[in-house]
Amino acid sequence: MLKFLKSGLLATAVLIVPVAAHAADVADGEKVFRKCAACHSVGEGAKSRVGPHLNDLFGRQAGTIDGFKYSAAMVAAGESGISWDEQTLTQYLVKPRDFVKGSRMAFAGLRKSADVANVIEYLKTFDEKMASSVGSAEAETQEAEVETAMADKPALAADMPLPEHDGAFKLGRAATEDEVAAWDMDIRPDGVGLPVGSGTVADGEVLYTDNCAVCHGDFGEAVGRWPVLAGGQDTLTDDRPEKTIGSYWPYLSTVYDYVRRAMPFGNARSLSDDDVYAITAYLLYLNDIVEDEEFELSNENFTDIHLPNEENFIPDDREQEAHYADKSEPCMTDCKPDPVEITMRARVLDVTPDSEEENTGGAID
Amino acid sequence: MSEKTKETLDGAAASRRRFLQAGIAGGAALATAGAARAAGDPVITEVQDWNRYLGDGVDAAPYGMPSEFESHVVRRDVPWLTADPVSSINFTPLHELDGIITPNGLCFERHHGGTAIIDPADHRLMINGLVDTPLVFTMQDLMRFPRENRVYFLECAANSGMEWRGAQLNGCQFTHGMVHCVVYTGVPLKYLLEEAGVKTSGKWVLAEGADAAAMTRSIPIEKALDDCLVAFKMNGEALRAEQGYPVRLVVPGWEGNMWVKWLRRLEVGDEPWAQREETSKYTDLLANGKARRHTWLMDVKSVITTPSPQAPITHGRGQTVISGLAWSGNGRIKRVDVSLDGGRNWHEARVDGPSLSKALHRFYYDFQWDGSDMLIQSRAMDEAGFIQPTKNELRAARGENSIYHNNGIQTWHVKADGAVENVEVS
Repeated sequence: MLKFLKSGLLATAVLIVPVAAHAADVADGEKVFRKCAACHSVGEGAKSRVGPHLNDLFGRQAGTIDGFKYSAAMVAAGESGISWDEQTLTQYLVKPRDFVKGSRMAFAGLRKSADVANVIEYLKTFDEKMASSVGSAEAETQEAEVETAMADKPALAADMPLPEHDGAFKLGRAATEDEVAAWDMDIRPDGVGLPVGSGTVADGEVLYTDNCAVCHGDFGEAVGRWPVLAGGQDTLTDDRPEKTIGSYWPYLSTVYDYVRRAMPFGNARSLSDDDVYAITAYLLYLNDIVEDEEFELSNENFTDIHLPNEENFIPDDREQEAHYADKSEPCMTDCKPDPVEITMRARVLDVTPDSEEENTGGAID
Repeated sequence: MSEKTKETLDGAAASRRRFLQAGIAGGAALATAGAARAAGDPVITEVQDWNRYLGDGVDAAPYGMPSEFESHVVRRDVPWLTADPVSSINFTPLHELDGIITPNGLCFERHHGGTAIIDPADHRLMINGLVDTPLVFTMQDLMRFPRENRVYFLECAANSGMEWRGAQLNGCQFTHGMVHCVVYTGVPLKYLLEEAGVKTSGKWVLAEGADAAAMTRSIPIEKALDDCLVAFKMNGEALRAEQGYPVRLVVPGWEGNMWVKWLRRLEVGDEPWAQREETSKYTDLLANGKARRHTWLMDVKSVITTPSPQAPITHGRGQTVISGLAWSGNGRIKRVDVSLDGGRNWHEARVDGPSLSKALHRFYYDFQWDGSDMLIQSRAMDEAGFIQPTKNELRAARGENSIYHNNGIQTWHVKADGAVENVEVS
């Protein structure tokens, strides 16, 4: 309780205190790094994933982590003498594909120079050679950090006047229209919730290549175990069905809703409504549901489009399965012929973690 | 070491290897102890360090941690299951636990956009849609509503999902560890919805998280007004960050994905929203190509947690405890049976501890093991009359591509040396 009140008061007080300009900041860099973390890992035990690991990055020649499959362009950049330091990283992170043309890194770049400086500072903490220089900078900026953190706190809802409502407990306050609009972004199959806007297949291809292809593949075929988005038609009764937007998803609204709320992975809410229309249009194109590259998807024509598998979803009827419908007392003795045989062993395809075998199991997600 | 034991060890998890080695070493110590027995066990006859020197003072660990001898009791993941550790899963070490309550730090994790870190002072819960007054609550507001304490299991719909095509993972942590059970403290969702005033046209509630996946699920209003809670405590302390701190939804008996963490918004509507997690995921593909949707309830299920592949029998023949868990989204567990011969003959197990609706139940079967091979199984029945099916019955009804809702009877093969393997039987 005290904490709430105190931070409320502080928030007001801090408004008149100028926030000290500060040098590159590790903590802020850690936040920025979340954008990178979808593909890169750093720190103890970091391994190369979609992107190479970033431990001991400084002084590393570009494109030289063993076992990581770089683009030819990145390897060539390294061979031409580029190695990673504060200066090259700064240039690279602003517009990766301008600095190394043909880099496989799909990330569009960090727009704010402070973000670039902070994420570099953060990466230094995972570099044996650089880590010592970071400590002092961190100490200098600590004070500024505290002030910024407090300045960031908005006035608490509890301090606002309490509008009347008819609830029994008279708790909470009425949400403003802007607040509801900021969070209420869900879209239903009947089109309720769709924002006004539009985007074409051709625009979507560019956006998809920049934002989505790094995980989902150039044609929606997926990289590694990231979700496959296209193809798989007529595979739902196969041994290994391919469940994609075109083969499985019942509604197009789900595509728009999900891309807008959660994609790109690690940089959610960064696409405009028109961008999402364009990407959705491109996904229809990748799934052969529209065939014209000039096709424009908009809030006007959105609900005209139906996905092929819509009719194949049925209600939960588990209770009617034979083993559930039969509610008689279960057998207790001599229920099977003797002896019971083992028909399958986990050891045959041992995919238990730490097993030395190659993992071959099917994914759950 | 017998050839059989060696084979098992070769393909076994590291933790299991350590466990077995400790067990074997212990056995060897007992064997050579025969001669020394006349003199007595040295841990008794000799003064031990802990018996002479002082231990740590009270503040050595302001937040207490498990004994250093329990450091192997941790959540573990299966890296190949998902594309990335940020949108992934790890598993509760069921084989190391007893009773019905899962310790907070061992409750399995499943996130779709990593663990959101939220200062409670910055958290808001909004109710909008078909209500008289859209409302915003702070955490402080939520804590002024009347609270309830309830014990519930939470099971991921994909628990045991890797076993549809056959025995695959050696360890009940991996085959069954996407379940946990804690006591929640929270506000009935009904109170919050009534505070905003649900319009008569309101038939569904969309729950939304504040994380980077903005996780969403549609919940029918009947369930929302029945037993759902908006919870801020688990086992008496604040929710762990990975379990939705500062506040999560509790949807008793229904699949874990609906228990939206970092809950920030509840929207009332007249139709479901067909979100990603209720269309492309968490729908159950059948052999005929049709897919069931809205399969919310978690069916009656049980598993023997010890012995199991990660927890072999190390004491040899004689008095033996089989221990396990049973649960059902329909309510209480009425009975659990245990078989030692692959489901040919069954014995009623002893349920011990509280029997609470939609909570884990702990069962035991105490018997004299003659040291021969066993195919051990458990079979649960719930108060609604549902009986846990066999894996083959489920496959006959659904095929092998459902992923979710695999509650089939689990078989462990206990060999004469006490090693245990995940198997399927005729």
